[in-house]
Amino acid sequence: MALFESFGISASGMAANRFWSDLIANNVANINSSGTPGDPANQPYRRQVPVFNEILRQQTGARQKSTVQAPGKGVQVSQLVHVDSEPTLIYDPGHPDADPQTGYVAYPNINILNEMVNLISATRAYQSNVTVLEAAKSMAVAALDMGR
Amino acid sequence: MEFFRDTISTILAKQMDACTLRQKVIANNVANVNTPGFKKSRVNFQQHLREALGSGSFAMRTTNVRHIAAGPSGLDNLVPEVVLEKSTAMKASGNNVDIDEEMVNLVSNTLLYRLATRVRSDRANTMSYVIKGR
Repeated sequence: MALFESFGISASGMAANRFWSDLIANNVANINSSGTPGDPANQPYRRQVPVFNEILRQQTGARQKSTVQAPGKGVQVSQLVHVDSEPTLIYDPGHPDADPQTGYVAYPNINILNEMVNLISATRAYQSNVTVLEAAKSMAVAALDMGR
Repeated sequence: MEFFRDTISTILAKQMDACTLRQKVIANNVANVNTPGFKKSRVNFQQHLREALGSGSFAMRTTNVRHIAAGPSGLDNLVPEVVLEKSTAMKASGNNVDIDEEMVNLVSNTLLYRLATRVRSDRANTMSYVIKGR
């Protein structure tokens, strides 16, 4: 039944956006996770972003016969990218992560405004998927109530 | 009369199928609202229904069951069609999902489905009334 497939599609959207908001939470939580400049063994935290991809329907023999073009099956996070951006250097010689020569500490280059805007996008997208799920549910209930 | 094999019941069933498919397509569009390069789909049903019912285009009259009607394809072959909209772009990423449009389509699709089920249900109730006489 196609309505249940619709539930699954909305669920995939909710899962992907929840995952995105988890990544944003992790980015914000690690905004001060410092490292030593120029030391590969002690790098600052790197910002993580998801890459969304549409899940395409597998074309099976039974489906190909129908003239209906198959829509997709939702969304998935296909990969998790660590963003390589130059760390922000802050002079703090007393810090345990400070470079012994220069006295600079490397902090992750995370823009908090950027993260908050992305968080709003993720939240709104999640809500939209919930709304679609509610609509599909009300359709299923209407079908169940037929003939009463 | 054949139970639930008349034109109205067939149209209602087809309409419900189309609404279910459209719901799936809208769910997919909304799920992919942040997917770069994604292009939305829509379901084309009303136009096919109009063509199948024969209004708008000319219909060839058949006077024998073995005649093949040209023009309107008839209700039996009526299938909703999923159309990919490639031409437009809403965002810099090439994604063309307009979330407002999708939500409006979602609401009207749900109401249309509920309407079809209500009408179908009422017809079933009428039948029940005729059979039971109360």
